Amino acid sequence: MKLVKLKIIILLLLILTSGSYAFAQSIVITGKVRGSDTGESLPTASVAVKGTTHGAITDMNGEYRIEVKAGDAVLVFSFVGYETQEVVIGNRTKIDVVLKTKASSLEEVVVIGYGTVRKSDLTGAVSSVKAKDLTKITSVNPEQSLQGKVAGVQVTSTSGAPGASPVVRIRGVGTFNNSSPIYVVDGVILDNISFLNSGDIASMEVLKDASATAIYGSRGANGVIIVTTKTGVKGSDKPVFNFSSEFGIQNLSKKINLLNGREFAIITNEIVSGTYNNVDAVPNTDWQSLVFKPAPMHNSQFSISGTTAKTEYYLSFGLFQQDGIIDKSSYRRYTIKANNTYHLTDHLKFGNNFTLAPYQQQNAPNVTYSVYRAQPLLNPYYADGSYGVVYNVGNPLADLANSNNFASGVRGVGNIFGEYTFLDGFTLRSSYGMDASFGQSKSFTPAFTVFNPDGTASQQQNVLSDIYKGNSQNTSWLWENTLNYTKTFGKHSFNAVAGYTMQETKSESIGLSGENVIRNGSDFWYIGPSYIYDPANNVNTIQSISNGVDPNEYYSMLSYLFRVNYTLSDKYMFTATFRRDGSSKFAPANRFSNFPSVAAGWNIGRESFMEKLPIFSALKLRASWGIIGNEKISYFDRFARVQSDIVAVIGDPDAAIAAASYGKSGNPDLKWESTKQTDVGLEFGLFKNRLTGEFDFYNRVTDDILVELSTPGHMGNGLGQKIRYNAGSVLNRGFEMNINWRQEIGEFSYGVGILGSTVHNEVLSIGGASGVDSLLIGGYLGNGQAVTQSRVGLPIGAFYGYKTDGVFQTQAELDAYPHSSQAGVGDLRFVDTNGDGKLNALDRTYLGSSIPKFIYGFNFELSYKSFEFSADFQGQLGNKIFNGKEVVRPDPYNFEQHVFDRWTGPGTSNTEPRSSFGGYNYSISDKFLQDGSFMRLRNIMVTYTVPKALTKKLKLNELRVYLKGTNVYTLTKFTGYTPEIGSYDVLSNGIDYGTYPVTAVYSIGLNLSF
Amino acid sequence: MKALIKTTIASVLLILPLAGCTDFLQKNPQGELTQEVFPSTPSDVLLATNAVYSTIRDWYFNSGGYPILDIMSDDSHKGSNPNDQLTTVGPYDNFKITATADGLDRWWSTLYEGIKRANVVIEKVPAVVMDEKVKNECIAEAKFLRAIYYFDLVRAWGGVPIVTTVTPPLQLARASKDEVYQLIVEDLGFAIQNLPLRSAQTLDNRGRATKGSAQALMAKVALFQGLFITSEEQALEVIHSGEYDLEPVYTDANGVKGEHGIESVFEVGAMQVEGTAGDQYANTQGVRGTPNRGWGFNRPSEELRNSFEAGDPRLDATIIDLGETLDGVKIIGDGTTPDFEYDDKGNITQRECYNQKVWVPGNNTITQWGHNRRLIRYADVLLIAAEALNENNKPADALVYLNKVRQRARGGNPAILPDITETGKANLRKIIMEERRHELAMEGHRFWDLVRTGMAGEVLGPVGFVVGKNELLPIPQTEIDISQGILVQNPNWN
Repeated sequence: MKLVKLKIIILLLLILTSGSYAFAQSIVITGKVRGSDTGESLPTASVAVKGTTHGAITDMNGEYRIEVKAGDAVLVFSFVGYETQEVVIGNRTKIDVVLKTKASSLEEVVVIGYGTVRKSDLTGAVSSVKAKDLTKITSVNPEQSLQGKVAGVQVTSTSGAPGASPVVRIRGVGTFNNSSPIYVVDGVILDNISFLNSGDIASMEVLKDASATAIYGSRGANGVIIVTTKTGVKGSDKPVFNFSSEFGIQNLSKKINLLNGREFAIITNEIVSGTYNNVDAVPNTDWQSLVFKPAPMHNSQFSISGTTAKTEYYLSFGLFQQDGIIDKSSYRRYTIKANNTYHLTDHLKFGNNFTLAPYQQQNAPNVTYSVYRAQPLLNPYYADGSYGVVYNVGNPLADLANSNNFASGVRGVGNIFGEYTFLDGFTLRSSYGMDASFGQSKSFTPAFTVFNPDGTASQQQNVLSDIYKGNSQNTSWLWENTLNYTKTFGKHSFNAVAGYTMQETKSESIGLSGENVIRNGSDFWYIGPSYIYDPANNVNTIQSISNGVDPNEYYSMLSYLFRVNYTLSDKYMFTATFRRDGSSKFAPANRFSNFPSVAAGWNIGRESFMEKLPIFSALKLRASWGIIGNEKISYFDRFARVQSDIVAVIGDPDAAIAAASYGKSGNPDLKWESTKQTDVGLEFGLFKNRLTGEFDFYNRVTDDILVELSTPGHMGNGLGQKIRYNAGSVLNRGFEMNINWRQEIGEFSYGVGILGSTVHNEVLSIGGASGVDSLLIGGYLGNGQAVTQSRVGLPIGAFYGYKTDGVFQTQAELDAYPHSSQAGVGDLRFVDTNGDGKLNALDRTYLGSSIPKFIYGFNFELSYKSFEFSADFQGQLGNKIFNGKEVVRPDPYNFEQHVFDRWTGPGTSNTEPRSSFGGYNYSISDKFLQDGSFMRLRNIMVTYTVPKALTKKLKLNELRVYLKGTNVYTLTKFTGYTPEIGSYDVLSNGIDYGTYPVTAVYSIGLNLSF
Repeated sequence: MKALIKTTIASVLLILPLAGCTDFLQKNPQGELTQEVFPSTPSDVLLATNAVYSTIRDWYFNSGGYPILDIMSDDSHKGSNPNDQLTTVGPYDNFKITATADGLDRWWSTLYEGIKRANVVIEKVPAVVMDEKVKNECIAEAKFLRAIYYFDLVRAWGGVPIVTTVTPPLQLARASKDEVYQLIVEDLGFAIQNLPLRSAQTLDNRGRATKGSAQALMAKVALFQGLFITSEEQALEVIHSGEYDLEPVYTDANGVKGEHGIESVFEVGAMQVEGTAGDQYANTQGVRGTPNRGWGFNRPSEELRNSFEAGDPRLDATIIDLGETLDGVKIIGDGTTPDFEYDDKGNITQRECYNQKVWVPGNNTITQWGHNRRLIRYADVLLIAAEALNENNKPADALVYLNKVRQRARGGNPAILPDITETGKANLRKIIMEERRHELAMEGHRFWDLVRTGMAGEVLGPVGFVVGKNELLPIPQTEIDISQGILVQNPNWN
């Protein structure tokens, strides 16, 4: 009886306390989950009963409550960024756990094209950078954050001008034309991401090998960067508000050592004797100090994110402002972001990702060049305050004062998508994305004259005021439809995706320029007959009108894609990918092409024999092969077009009449450029994943390169006009490594990361059977001289010129050596490299390459209690920089300091020739080639997190303040402003043309969430 | 319901990409024709013909931009301030250039661009259905201009690749000098047959080639070939046509007043605007400083100044000196240019002065762009006739035309420039050359006159001219590089 009673009571209890576990015995377990790093509670961590789908989530205080059945033995605790921990329940009802931060990234989920995959299941070479590292560098360009963070990726600034975009190269330079990767932002394929605020990005994934990029087919040959923006955090129904703000000061990181007034006068007197009677009496102007001034930058962002029962949302507003260190240059960008997902049913969801980015920009004229050239013994101003003449280059201050060059616009990028899951494991997804931008530019230069000291007009003069107005609009749409199937049965798991995509892009611009605006004020900066009046001719003049499509942004594409992943026993992975692309850029016969790839991976760490090697916590080997394509050419390269902007002047009186003729020829036989890439990778974790690492070897051969080649003058294509051919192949081969160590000792933790990559770049062929140019000349300096030649056996854009071996000391020495007719005693001695006893153009030879032999980065992180310290270094070795700005000397310009050590008689110098304003000694030679190796302290940062106890009182989740420096220190032998000399033109890379200097930035910031 | 949604979604997604997918991937040139369909109408033919004229107004057509032909002669120096383009244009003055010299590639490519535009008309227009007479006139204009371009090429570089089609092979070796001249003569023969007389031309067609232009060019080409009979014939055809005469006032021959005038046999139309319809030829040489009329290249030499006969008014009409007032504008000059330069003995080597042949009234750079460069003027034709007649042993006839030029230069002043009476062939040849120097000074003739008469070694040797080398310019190094050895450099330039 007692027993029966007891049974009934138990039954009643069970009924009362259980939901789905009715009629089974259950107990309630409670507890708190904390993180080992902060010791603070972890909200939204997941608690599950092992072997079931039953689970719970911790609340805002990190506390949970879960009911378990009697038979349940183990609870599994997990949270993003922490190691999953299993706890045997035993007979406890209160279980507190401390989750260890994840030392390894091997269990991360990685975004790949059209899907995601666990890092451990990856068969391709993919590197991931998460949000925390993306906001370390204050820049308008999120790509800057990849620098020194991903092996095999080189990010190089092209200019320090506000708003300037860097050049990104993945695994070397794969082609002679556009070598930039493509970006996929929330599924929308784009050429650049300058509209994105780094703070809105959740992660950036760099797809490097053919297996990873093949799903993007023709778009992927130069790598793919997938950008995933932030969404509402699942599981927190309380909204999270986040505010961050940062203020920084930019400085010229170094000055170029130029001659002062006295030294310049001494040199001038040696060239033209008696120019300056008293070299001690000449003025001395430091033009660099006059032009470069510290400038502020500021970045603020406010965001709200969260979830409700059926929606996830993320909304943000950002403002980025940057003034340039040169007057009249600035950039301001607002970003508005809205990412939402709506779960209509368990099987159907819709969502959107939108960014709207209006911007305003002011561009300064390139006075860096004139600052470098301006003679130091000229005064910037006359006694009356007017601008002083600066012979040959113009007074940079006057140029700045008269410059009014503005650009503004708005860019909107976004997509809407629907996802429907049906049957068992099928997902149908359709996404429609748009990228639309509108831009306006205007510039106005008033009439002005800088006078010579004698009161006459100097060459720096604008007789009539000039005005230019331009408008552009760009629209691109992308519609993607994919069907995904995921199935696991037994040891086998499948994931397959198939689909098709369509894309169309058009960009159109219109520009007008006029002269002689009636007044100088900005109220009159419009083009209309009443404002434009040319008194000389008594007629209204509109100088020029231009209208047309952007030839690189007018195309359509149709693609079919397919990929299958198969995993056996969680140990053996296989991937096969196929994409078929059709592009409007090619004639119908060559329009479509196929891009296949295969890959395999072996998770050695999961083999049972590895249990004997407990030192290994993970070990994986992977290999891939595939073909990817490139079609980044102008839509009209295949057409032979008629040039219709020709003007003839016929008649008495002279009259301008229309004319048209054949423009340069086209090439109707153009087809896809294709890259075959092989990759072998090894990933490992040692000492419980404290030490993790990844090694990759790759071999990448690009064939049928779409290259523009010079044609002989007799073709009549006109000076400098080139025709595109499929003619060339290039090899990139290299090794990449990435090693990280991370350890926690109580409240102290630290980490060290090292990454490095090598590139061997070699041109395998140019021209080929097409019978045109067998070499590519590039790196034009603007005076007809070209610095690079790309030839078979040399790297792309190799520096090519004379080798020097000293200075001719005496007439006897000059007579004894083969020399140019222009050489005299005291001039540089060029080497007769072909040994024919004559010195001529045939003696020019390979001097070096702008492509570094080794790119590296290393970083440190320390944290102790509330303090965090990090330092990121980055650098490269073995590349050369050509000092182009020093060579172009049609007129007497100032010199760099080394010129003062000139040859003045036998034995005085064997490196610096006699003084001259230009000419022979300034031929393209290794004299102007410098070692471009550098090591840079890219970022140094100290963060203080206000203790939880205090923030709780303030009703805040978190409050952090930090100090940081960017580009703080650079160790280099290069004499220019920065050894980072980037160019979009792969044939002009590593040439210092005297661009806007890249700055050092010191900033202070705060980040708070509530 | 669910099934319906499913079916709809599936069918929409599957069918859409197939519909119209061929059109979807067709993107034609926007705002531009392709070459297959041009020229196909009479209006196209006119556009294509006009385009051949555009090249002669291209800055690069003028010996690559800078007036290197005068600079290489004994009539002129680089000009501008001493250091401006010292290392690019400077070496032409003393024959220190190499195959990579500035401007060679510009000149070469631009002449061939003009040839291509001519070939479009010559090759494609015959198939267009239109009035036959107009068609042949257009082809004749193109052939005349093609002759102009090849004449520059053959004089500057000797035998060059000959292109007579719009689709030449990529690799093409140099033809011989004679073959190039043969093509020029054939083209001019067709032009003479089909071009109208100047008097038959309406005013709005001035600037287009006429029969007289072609005959005059033929006479000049023959002179360079040493074919004096042809030269005499053609020059006399022009003279006897009665279509041309000398401007009464010498300065009008190159000045604004004489544009498309009676002395103009062939000239380059240009409007007073920077760029587009303007011509930078005169701006390059315009007065530097105050008034700011240009860059100030091509500085008349002391040798030229001293070579004029006493009282020859053409000296003043050729050189703009500082302090002079022209058309009400006082010439002050450039602050960065020394007024005088001296040698060790204190003799003037150069002085700041400018080429008056390109002068256009005004005080800014813009009007200078409107200067119409006279490629062939009647005075040149008269002197060609005189030279050819003298070579053909007809000195008396030669003197008629020579003295006609001197008579105009005299400007009614009987005290100067007396009629020439010399009939000795060698002496008269020298006198005619001197007359050419003074009448046509700073117009780009002198260097080639010195070369074709074999005088260059003697006259220019002291400043660096090497006989057997400097008669021709070096083929641009970039062209040699691209040709992969097909183009062979001129003698002694390697």
